[in-house]
Amino acid sequence: MANEPEHIEGRAETAPPQHSTVAPGGPATAPGDVMAGPPAVRIQGLWKKFGEQTAVHGIDLTLPAGRFIGLVGPNGAGKTTTLSMVTGLLRPDAGTVEIGGHDVWQDPVSVKSRIGVLPEGLRLFERLSGRELLSYIGRLRGLPGDEVDKRAGQLLDVLGLSGAQHKLVVDYSTGMRKKIGLAAALLHNPEILFLDEPFEGVDPVSAQTIRGVLERYTASGATVIFSSHVMELVESLCDWVAVLAAGRIRADGPLAEVRGAAPSLQDAFLELVGAQDRGAGADLDWLGGGRAR
Amino acid sequence: MSTASAAAARPATAPSLTGVFVRLKLSLLRNGLRQSTGRTLAYVASIVVGLLFAGAVVLGLTALRGNAHAGALAVLLTGMLTVGWAVMPLFFPGSDETLDPTRLVMLPLRPRPLIVSLLMASLVGIGPVVTLMLVAGAVIAVADGALAAVVGVVAAVLVLLVCVALARAIATASVRLLTSRRGRDLAVLGGLFIALGGQGVNIAAQRLGRPDGLSVLEPLGEVLRWVPPASALGAVDDAGHGAYGRALAGLALTALALALLLWWWQRTLTALMTSPDSSTLQALEKDGARRSGTGERGLARLLPDGRTGTVMRRSLRYAWRDPKSKMAWATALGVGLLVPIATSAQGNGSMYTAFSASALLGAQMYNQFGQDTSAFWMVASTIATPRDAYQELRARALTLALVAVPYVTLVVVGAAALIGPWSDFVEVYGLSLAVLGALLATGAMSSALFPYSIPSEGNKNVAPGQGAIAWFSLFGGVLVAAVLCSPLVALTVWLHVAGLHQLLWLLLPAGAVYGVGLAEAGLRVAAPRVATRLPEILGAVSKG
Repeated sequence: MANEPEHIEGRAETAPPQHSTVAPGGPATAPGDVMAGPPAVRIQGLWKKFGEQTAVHGIDLTLPAGRFIGLVGPNGAGKTTTLSMVTGLLRPDAGTVEIGGHDVWQDPVSVKSRIGVLPEGLRLFERLSGRELLSYIGRLRGLPGDEVDKRAGQLLDVLGLSGAQHKLVVDYSTGMRKKIGLAAALLHNPEILFLDEPFEGVDPVSAQTIRGVLERYTASGATVIFSSHVMELVESLCDWVAVLAAGRIRADGPLAEVRGAAPSLQDAFLELVGAQDRGAGADLDWLGGGRAR
Repeated sequence: MSTASAAAARPATAPSLTGVFVRLKLSLLRNGLRQSTGRTLAYVASIVVGLLFAGAVVLGLTALRGNAHAGALAVLLTGMLTVGWAVMPLFFPGSDETLDPTRLVMLPLRPRPLIVSLLMASLVGIGPVVTLMLVAGAVIAVADGALAAVVGVVAAVLVLLVCVALARAIATASVRLLTSRRGRDLAVLGGLFIALGGQGVNIAAQRLGRPDGLSVLEPLGEVLRWVPPASALGAVDDAGHGAYGRALAGLALTALALALLLWWWQRTLTALMTSPDSSTLQALEKDGARRSGTGERGLARLLPDGRTGTVMRRSLRYAWRDPKSKMAWATALGVGLLVPIATSAQGNGSMYTAFSASALLGAQMYNQFGQDTSAFWMVASTIATPRDAYQELRARALTLALVAVPYVTLVVVGAAALIGPWSDFVEVYGLSLAVLGALLATGAMSSALFPYSIPSEGNKNVAPGQGAIAWFSLFGGVLVAAVLCSPLVALTVWLHVAGLHQLLWLLLPAGAVYGVGLAEAGLRVAAPRVATRLPEILGAVSKG
């Protein structure tokens, strides 16, 4: 932990130009200008082990505010573990996480009201109807009842869930669950939205709806950080990416920078995680030709 | 190169479908056992118990040979076995993976050979063996003479086939229901039905155990002997008495039933495997009838605003809609009432049995966050301060108290009226409220310190590997609650010993105040621990 300042210095070199104006560790100044404030997320020396297996291997990462950020990596790279630790749902073994300049573990009051979360693999209160779920989470967050009902109605409408608002969430399809989860994460108008695999198992129509809502949300200066392993999607949505493999950050920065000279993000990604030359099965000589059996 | 490898890749001759299915069943059994030693032990134990039970019944039936009512008993036993096979797939849909024909939907299989193979594979297992033993016992009890023995062998085989085919056909016909959410909810409540059924069998066994109790069966036996597959057992009885026409008719009825079952099974199987499944159908369903509107209706509006009312509304909805919560509430309310009633019915009742209501309802406070399953993350993401955690816990305790306080009052008043004496009412009521408060306090603490996961499906209430935490926290908590209540118990004893009976009324206000004080103190001590342990609690309740 003693060498933490070095990490900050090291990261500052790769940080985008707008952050070079911020003194490391300095107070958040320049109100009104999102870009000049503290970074959305600052991770230092983050570690997590599950038994013998190290899921997150000392991550240092600074993500700027006001961007559409993609966290990409193959399955098992540690995306979910990282996002869980960043959002306060999982305690790291070591390291610090700051969101908007506030430490996640020291100052949960400032952090929890600023972020919206859509985790992967955790359930919702599924025996509530879609509308009841939004009403529940909104009031739990301390919003006035009338405001919750108004916002819930609008979110259900925009996400195309009005027709199913009185159906229990347990009877929702995967796409509907992701949409109601997104509505629950947006209800309190957070500054930063963390989405773990928001497009996984979602049909194209729902995916387009989710995309539209997220684009509208980032256009207003808010930050979206989402994980995915679909490169085409990340390439078309994000302006900033971080590549995670085997619990380590392999690259991070503006999309164009990470992509470099490669023809697509997919190629750049395969090169970064070192999975390019896997043979396509020279032994499968019986396969093909259309002869059954 | 291509000819040689292509020839090697193709199987020379297709193996017999029946052989494949029997091997599949055996592999599934073997792999299921390989998962854990606990499972292997449980399986071996169930085999031993099953065989011992069947052996005992066979012995008993053999001893009944020649009894005038043996025929009726054999017919009834067959009828009960059949009912058992019929309801089994409804309550244990996951018990046999080969029972779900939708897994085979992509394979090029003809219905008729598929039916035969599935039927043969179903005969592998402990259930069919026990059934065969019981039916054989019933045959031994009634078969009289060589011809009856031959009919008996045919009858035993027919009965077994009908039972297995019935279970298969019902599983296939209800697979839509069973794979839907409502079906799975029903399966969770299966344990309750089995407990009720067990109680019914218990009562029936007591009546039959009386002298000449078996004669009760005669009218029922007269009807059942013409209902397949029990009619096959009736045929054995008839063959022994020389009524060959009746015997033939009985066997023919069972054979006809088997043929009809196989036909129905084949039809439903074909329909199931060639039509869209529930996920497609569900998407087309209209919005359900649950229309609560935008505002809250009825009594829900009386709940306070803010976190307290919000959490209470959610808890109360879950008590009704979530099968696990419903089951827990039903058990607590039912058993809490049953203990005083049962002991008073036996004639040695004491008013102090009314504590069961407090104890069982108070125990609902344990593992509060485990009841949320991994959806607890939604709660965790809105708790930032110990005050939030306190409000969350207090709302859950209030929900419990909302039901428990009137219920405990009712049970204590009932116990005073039915068991008495009324002079003990005040102290029992006061102590009950103190017990409830102490359990709310220790329950809040244990929810914070020893959370564990409750699997949402199946009959298990603790995730594998967390059983020790669950038992330790519950028993430890109950012990601590008892210690917490001891000052009040001591006061009660002292008032009695010192002969200050005119002051016993003090125990009611003292118990109420003490209970509320304990609960409040428990919530206050537990809240900061919840607030600092949120990730640990989430991890514990998300297992399994």
